[in-house]
Amino acid sequence: MSTTADSEKTRPPDRIQVLRGQLTRSNNDRVVAGLAAGIACRLGIPTVYVRAAFVSLTLAGGFGVLCYVAGWLITPDEREYGSMIAAAQPPSTAQRAGLGLGLFALLLALESLGLWFGPIVWPAILVIFGAALIWDRSSSDSRRRLARFTRPSDHGARRSRFQIFAGVALMAIGIVVVLASLDSIQSLGPVAIAVLLTAAGFMLLFGPWVWGLFEELTDERRARIRSEERADMAAHLHDSVLQTLAMIQRSDDPQRMVTLARAQERDLRAWLFNPESAGRGGTVGEGIAAAAARVETDFDVPIEVVVVGDRSLDDSSGTLVAAASEAMANAAAHSGARSVSVYVECTDDSVEAWVTDQGAGFDVATVPEDRKGISESIDARMSRSGGESTILSAPGEGTEVHLRSGPR
Amino acid sequence: MTTIYLVDDHELFLSGVRVELSERFEVAGWSTDVDTAVDEIRKQRPDVVLVDVHMPGGGGLSVVGNVHETNPDIRFLALSVSDAPEDVIAMIRTGARGYVTKSIEPDALADAIERIAAGDAVFSPKLAGFVLDAFSDAVPVEADPELDQLTPREREVLRQIARGYAYKQVATRLSISVKTVETHVSAVLRKLQLSNRHELARWASERRIV
Repeated sequence: MSTTADSEKTRPPDRIQVLRGQLTRSNNDRVVAGLAAGIACRLGIPTVYVRAAFVSLTLAGGFGVLCYVAGWLITPDEREYGSMIAAAQPPSTAQRAGLGLGLFALLLALESLGLWFGPIVWPAILVIFGAALIWDRSSSDSRRRLARFTRPSDHGARRSRFQIFAGVALMAIGIVVVLASLDSIQSLGPVAIAVLLTAAGFMLLFGPWVWGLFEELTDERRARIRSEERADMAAHLHDSVLQTLAMIQRSDDPQRMVTLARAQERDLRAWLFNPESAGRGGTVGEGIAAAAARVETDFDVPIEVVVVGDRSLDDSSGTLVAAASEAMANAAAHSGARSVSVYVECTDDSVEAWVTDQGAGFDVATVPEDRKGISESIDARMSRSGGESTILSAPGEGTEVHLRSGPR
Repeated sequence: MTTIYLVDDHELFLSGVRVELSERFEVAGWSTDVDTAVDEIRKQRPDVVLVDVHMPGGGGLSVVGNVHETNPDIRFLALSVSDAPEDVIAMIRTGARGYVTKSIEPDALADAIERIAAGDAVFSPKLAGFVLDAFSDAVPVEADPELDQLTPREREVLRQIARGYAYKQVATRLSISVKTVETHVSAVLRKLQLSNRHELARWASERRIV
């Protein structure tokens, strides 16, 4: 169960809607892989009909199994992709007829191609859909249905009796046709017929009840997933947002409040909108963002980061991120600017970064030899990794540090 | 005096912005939902509408889309807590002349409104970054190179904006006039709104899924 909870956690709820059109395999309603339930949800029809269709197609030379396996392979699990948030509108009568005729046509085509298990198939399909009809009509409310079957005199039972009658009639016709159409009725044997009839009767009487139990189980499972998701959200909000709000209330320094609010905002954004990359530093952009976050927290100065064309970190871009981090810290500590801007542009073979502040600035030529910040941490570091750095600054004009790794 | 209209479903934010801007602008009205906003804006005909992106009932997109259809002369500045690329790009593509985040300082917001009232576009550093990102790939074969590519100069202007420089500073640094910077930015905005390249849509949607 923990894997489900994990993947639920990493998916923000607002993103599900985008995927409404995507066919996914159902996670809650599955017999084999949830494909039938997914298709049913997409079409807006009860799952049992889709299952009946798959079984019917399977009788056509195993074609249904092939379809199912193919569908299984090409459709993603809703746990990976987000569930279809709402089922499709139920189709109109014409659309239903279209679906039915489409299936019928497919079966005819398969029969004419010779993909067929013999004369028993058509009646068997009739039986399958008769059973599906009964199943569907009696599964709407598991409790009332249970009452209906245990207390036949119940008032609500009258409506469903007709449906059950229709189902029984369909099945009976099917069985009669089986018997009539089989040339060698002996091959089936009285035992087989008895088993068939008993199974059908058993399914009619107890099927809905078993189904009801199964449905309750899946309902419970769904509710548990939801409550886990909620608990997870609450835990995160408590750990981060409430703590920050408490700290802001206790703080007198407006600058400190701004920094706390910004740090919290960044954290929440990362959690809500970009859960996969949160807490990792796999790309240049993520590395820069993490460095900016550290500097913001240390120096209480907001840092605006813009990254164009992100790519994964390697040795030389890692050096660039480290040097940019140093430049950000310098700007935050010494410039007196109210904010620092960082712009990073990655191309196929080079990464460039500009760290800009609109603060006090300084005379680049008069920096004393013993101040290692710039010469060691930025210039030497960049040139060792085959890159270069330029610092433009003048008193009162702000500072711009330009870093480049890779060929020009 | 420039008249402005405010649309935001957060009353608290709305009243704050109203107070900040009432000195420099004539506030023609405000509303907290999409339908009233569309009716009122058509009636009041303000110069600039400040519109929130995320609201119940279709959000800023439907306000901009509906009004833009009937009154293309009314200009929109999108104002949002979100700086997610798909929100930004969608608002601009629908017809907003600029996009700023709600953390913007009051003076900068007022400047942005005035620039939009004057017919220019407003690009925040983030927006400039998104545009550079979206237009960075090679132009597809069947695309219109006029629309689907940025000129080197436009690219340079956007990079300066992305680095956090104000229009005036960009002008000084590139040795051009502020008016020229504004012309470049407006040209980029027009390309962004008219460009048909499917890469733009794919770019935005990819960032939503990733």
